[in-house]
This record gives sequence, structure tokens and C-alpha cells, in this order.
Amino acid sequence: MTFSLSFNGTEHRRPSRLGRVLEDRLPYLIVAPAILVLLLVGLFPLIYSLIVSFQRITMTDNDTSFAGLLNYAELFRDTRLWASLGHTAIITAIALPLELLIGFLMAQLFIDRMPGRQLFVALLVLPTVISPIVAGATWRLLFDVRFGPIGEILSFFAGEPIRILWTVNPAYVYPAIIICEVWQWSPFMFLLLLAALSNVDQSQLEAAEIDGASYLRVLRAIILPAIAPVIAVACLIRGLDLVRIFDIIWALTEGGPGSMTETISLYTYVQGFSQFETSYTAAISFLVIALLTLITTLVLKRMEIAR
Amino acid sequence: MKFRTLLGVAAILALTGVSAPAADKDAADIAVEAAKKYAGTTISIVWEAGLQSLDPLNYSGPKWEKLTGIKVKVVEVPTDQMFTKIMQDFKSGAGAYDALNVIPSWMPDLARAGALEPLDKYVDKFGYRDELQDIAAAYRDNQMQYDGKIFGFPDDGDVMLLYYRKDIFEDPKMKEGFKAKFGYELAPPKDWKQLDDIGQFITDKMAPKVYGAGFFRTAPYPQYMFQERFRMEGGKFFNADTMKSTVNSDVGLKVFKQMLAENKFMPPGVEQWNFVDNLAAFLQGTTAMTISWPPYGRWAAGYGSGEEALKWVPKSQVAGKVGYALTPLGRPELGVGFDLSVSATSKNKEAAYLFIQWLNSKKTSLERVQLPYTLRDPFRLSHYASEKYRALWPDAPAYLDTIKTSGEKGLLDLSLLQQDKYDEAMTKAISSLWAGEDPKTILDRMAQQFDAITEKVGIENQKAVYKVWAAKPGAYPQ
Repeated sequence: MTFSLSFNGTEHRRPSRLGRVLEDRLPYLIVAPAILVLLLVGLFPLIYSLIVSFQRITMTDNDTSFAGLLNYAELFRDTRLWASLGHTAIITAIALPLELLIGFLMAQLFIDRMPGRQLFVALLVLPTVISPIVAGATWRLLFDVRFGPIGEILSFFAGEPIRILWTVNPAYVYPAIIICEVWQWSPFMFLLLLAALSNVDQSQLEAAEIDGASYLRVLRAIILPAIAPVIAVACLIRGLDLVRIFDIIWALTEGGPGSMTETISLYTYVQGFSQFETSYTAAISFLVIALLTLITTLVLKRMEIAR
Repeated sequence: MKFRTLLGVAAILALTGVSAPAADKDAADIAVEAAKKYAGTTISIVWEAGLQSLDPLNYSGPKWEKLTGIKVKVVEVPTDQMFTKIMQDFKSGAGAYDALNVIPSWMPDLARAGALEPLDKYVDKFGYRDELQDIAAAYRDNQMQYDGKIFGFPDDGDVMLLYYRKDIFEDPKMKEGFKAKFGYELAPPKDWKQLDDIGQFITDKMAPKVYGAGFFRTAPYPQYMFQERFRMEGGKFFNADTMKSTVNSDVGLKVFKQMLAENKFMPPGVEQWNFVDNLAAFLQGTTAMTISWPPYGRWAAGYGSGEEALKWVPKSQVAGKVGYALTPLGRPELGVGFDLSVSATSKNKEAAYLFIQWLNSKKTSLERVQLPYTLRDPFRLSHYASEKYRALWPDAPAYLDTIKTSGEKGLLDLSLLQQDKYDEAMTKAISSLWAGEDPKTILDRMAQQFDAITEKVGIENQKAVYKVWAAKPGAYPQ
């Protein structure tokens, strides 16, 4: 044990070598178990899937021989895969702006204090706490041609029986999915945007009002720039969710009619857990990872530029 | 001489005396006796989730435990996940399942993968071969073996039946009107043209109260109807030499067009009907004809209506008014079915085998097919002839006779390597048909998908399996 003298003359005990090592490494030692767990549950499956994607494993044939780029080449020939990506893009491109718009309008409506505001907000957020598979099953019942209230309501207004096969007719099957999706997730956008709108600088809004600026001008010049980062994050979160959309579609249409509403998640599930193309499914998952990484990077880059 | 005679008689008596208890014992008793040495162990069995599982949960499982001391753990799995779960267990080598319920069309895949235990040695060891002869030939000869070995005991007499409303078909006014319009008697349809005539006629006369017919239309059910009709109209799934799919032939197109056209005389929204929707409509008297598995007939007669487990089944408004017939063209589809098998990774193979022998035996299975709340249908000659079963409701004899004849004439489900992929292609194609896509385009796409699957499996491999399947008497109508 050695001692050193400090500048103010007080004596400090100098830590031993072991103590210094421990002191230096302590932060690493503390986080090491968490990192180890993360590696085990995150990185290991990822690496293992990558290895599997270069093999020929199916559920009936455990062939672990190296297949080269066979599975990746197959991706480019698989028309059903690209169709499913197209369906995913359609749903995302329509549902995301709708959710954003409805969420924003709802937030605008509730930004001002009003009686019962908190109760209404709590009620409006309810759909987001429901499991998506339950939401899909509920909407399936609502859309039912014989017992569903939607048909009854439409018939009442039309004055004649309206029988729409929402989950069978190609003209209605996408609207059905998007209605369900927007119903469930617009409140999420609403919550985020309500918080963002609450933080817009009131003095700027008051100054604009005094100057006689129109609402659209205020929206464009003050509100949107102020809440842009929140909009970007909300869109990123919901966009990624929409790319992974599964439950609602599974409950509503199971990807049908035919494969018309089959998204990439449904297709991956069918390949992996119904048709047991294990190696090929691993290759699909890496394609999805690559696409999502690309999209996320582009969005984040754009956010960086905007900042 | 007298002494030798006496000696001979004594010897015969002695032999008879020794062998008498063995001869008295049936397969169920033999299984119980042999299983007692495994008392205290637990065996698991994969069973279709829902009503089917009530058999081992409420009846056979507890009874087996009482008789042998072996506990039965029932692993309930939805039908569409059963193959996956069985294969996952096999691939992982976990041995979580001892006995299995297997859909017969999966047998080639499961047997070739090695997931099923060959049962021949157990059958001989526990004297079950004789009782297997009592299983109706359609199931015994087609759903029990793969490559000459027994891999499962057919345990469910699944077959499609035509149900029709006798009160409507026998109504003098309806009969008269029908004959005047079409020139032949109103009777259960012999072909699809007749079904269309009758269906349209009843709809025209009685809708919206009663429609001519209603069928289940959502996946996976209509593919069984397509398989039956396509073959009965002369279609072949493949060119046996090249293994190129021929489902997009003129026959395929004709069947698709007919199936689509029939929706017009069925209740609005029939395209969305599943098993339960169709059942409800028929039991409530909304449809005059339907085609389905045997439980419809029992429930339509009101059998088991007081059962707690059947509370979801609408009360039958048509009890006593339902007739049973073969489906049009007379060769109904033996849709789905179940075999009882033993998992190759089981750690209790013999105990598992003894359980399935007991379940499948003449004595136990007769009790099981009469359980009103499960979906097991008669599959043994002794079931069809059972006086007890035939007395369950007034029309039960006609019901059992129709099931027996339907089974004898039944057509097998297509059963190839990776059959689930062909099934999926058919299911998706029919779903596109209801959505209004051009039938020819759908069939061409289905044929392409069939070819892609065959190519992936290996044309020669698949050709060999198809050849074996196509040679079976129930594969194609002769």
C-alpha cells in the first residue's frame, strides 16, 4: 500500500494495481452481463440466420451443405415475394399519411383545453392498446356480410340492402385493411402530435395572430417546423410497423383473396412456418433487414439534413 | 384305442383351456394388460385443438389412466400447425410427443423424414392385425401404410356427404313444379347439372327463406370439393410421364366455372362461409342442400344437442327432415381424415403404441365415434353395423349406410411429397375464383405453381410417389 501527497498537502491513499485495474474496467464489468445477454439474444440468432441462409435446410431435409448464393438468387425469381413487397408498399403508402393526417387533426382538436378533454383522450387512445390480432378479428366481424353492423348502416343510408364482401371483393379488400389499420394506429400519431403541439412556442403563435397571419401561414411557418422532428420520428416508428404488418391482415384476409393482400411478413411466415423453407426464409429475412436498414438510414439522414 | 381317444380329447381340452383366455381377449384388452407395466408414466399425444380434443380430455384419456395407470397429456394443436409441430419436435429430437394424430396425406412426408415409427412389429406383438381388417377398406388400404409399412391406424371416417331437406324434396307442389320444368323427378342430384337445376329451382321458389344450397367456401374446405369434381369430370392432376401439371385443362376450367356459377343460387355472401357458417345455415333451415363431413348429419338430427360442449352449434330446426345421399357423380372426397401414429422420437414408444391400439380397437373406437361432442366419424365395418349406433336417432341407419357407401366409393385426397404446398396453391386459386379473377388465368397460375413445387421436390422423386398414389383404387375413378 503506497501513499501520495496531494497539491493541498492532504494525504490520499493510492489504489493498488488490482484496484486501479478494477477501477478502470468497472464500467465495462457492470455492463458486460447486459451486453452478453444482448449478444446472445440478438446477435447470435442474426449470425446463425445468416449462416442458415447459405444452406439448404427445409423442414424435411436438414441439408446443411453450403449452397452459395442459391437462396439469394431465388429471391430475384420469386414473383410472389416481390408482389408481397408491393402489397406492403401500397398499404404503407396509403395508411401512413392517413394516420398522420388524422392524428394531426385530432391533436389540433384537442390542443385547446375543454371539459372532459382527458377522458376523451383516454378513450381515443383505447384502440392502440388492443392487440392487432383482436382488432383484425373485430373488424372482420364488423365487415361480415350477414351479421356485420357496417353493412346494416350502409343499407340504412342507401335505403336498400347493401352487401359488400369486404374480405373477398378485390375492390374492397384494401380499404378494409386500411380502415382497420388507420382506426387502430391514428390515436398513436394523435398522442405524439398532441405532445408536440403542446410544446410549440406560444409567443410565436400569439405574435403571428397579432400580425394577422392566416392559419395556413401559421401552420406552414411556425407549427410544422416546430413539430417536424416529432413527425419524422412518428413516421419512422409507424412506417417500420407498417412494413412488418401481419396480425391485422392475418385476421382479416389471411393474405387473400388469392395472394392479393399478402405482405412481406405474411409471406415470410408462410415460407418459414407453413412450407418450412428454412434457408430460403432466412434469405428473405436478410432481404427485409437490408431494405429496412436502407429506408431507416435514408430517413435518419433526411432528419439530419433538416436539422 | 379308447385310451388314445381320451388322451386326444384331454389334450384338445387342455389346449383349448389354455388358449381360451387369449382367444377371448380383444385388442383393447390386450393393450390394457400389456400397458399395466407402464403404470405411473405419462404419455403425450398431439390432437387437433377444439372439439376433437374433448375425446382424450374427457373420455379416452381418463379411462385409459383408470385402466392402466398411465396418464395421458393431450397437446392441443390447431390443424394448420399440427404438421409443423410434429416436424419441429422430430427435427429437434426433443421427443416431446409420444403419440400423434396425423392427416393421411402428410404420411409420405412424415414417413420419409423418419418422424413416424413403423408399427408392424407392435401390431404383430400385440395381436392387432385381425382387428385392422374391420377398418373400412377405403381407409385401411389407402391411409394406413407408406412404402409397404404401417405408419398409422386410420381413426376417422372422414368423407363428404350430401345432405338435403326431405320435406322440400318430397313436397308434392315442389315435385310437380320441378318435373314440369326440367322433365325429371325432384330427387337427390346424381350429377352437378342436376344439383344446379335443383338449387336454382328451390332458390327461385323459396328464397330468401330457403336457398337451394349452401357450401363452405373459405379455405381450406373448397379445395376438397375441387379435387373430387375435377377427377370425376375426367381431370388428372399431372401428366404421369412428365409430371407437368394438367389442372389447367378444359376439365379444370369447366369445374371452376361451375363452382363459381353455383354461388348465384346460394345465400348472399356464401363466398365467406366457413364450416360453422355453412352448418348454421343448414341447421336453421336456410339452405336445402349442403355437402360436408358426417358430423353435420348427427347434429342436424339433434344428436348431442344437450351437450355443454355443443352449445355453439345452433339448435337444429331440421331434425327429422334431413336426407343423406352420395355427392353428385357418386364418388365423394375422403377429405382429410386422421391416423393415429407413434412419434419416432418418443421415449415411451411401446406405451404410446398400446394407447393408440386401445383407442383404435373395435371396442373403444365404437364408443368414441358415438361421443356426440367430438368429430370422429365411423370408420369400421362394425361401426356401420352397430345396433347401438343405429338406434341413436330414427334416421341413423340411413346415415350409417350412406357413410359406409360413401367410404367405399370415396376418392383419396391428393397425397404427394410436400403436399401442403400443392394444397396451398389450390386454396389460393379458389380464393381468387371467388374474388372474380378470370378462371383460366387462375388455373394457369395454379399449374405453374404445381410445376414449380414438383421441380423443387425433384421430378423423379415426385413421379415415383405420384405413381404409387395414382395406382390406388381411390385415386382416380376407374
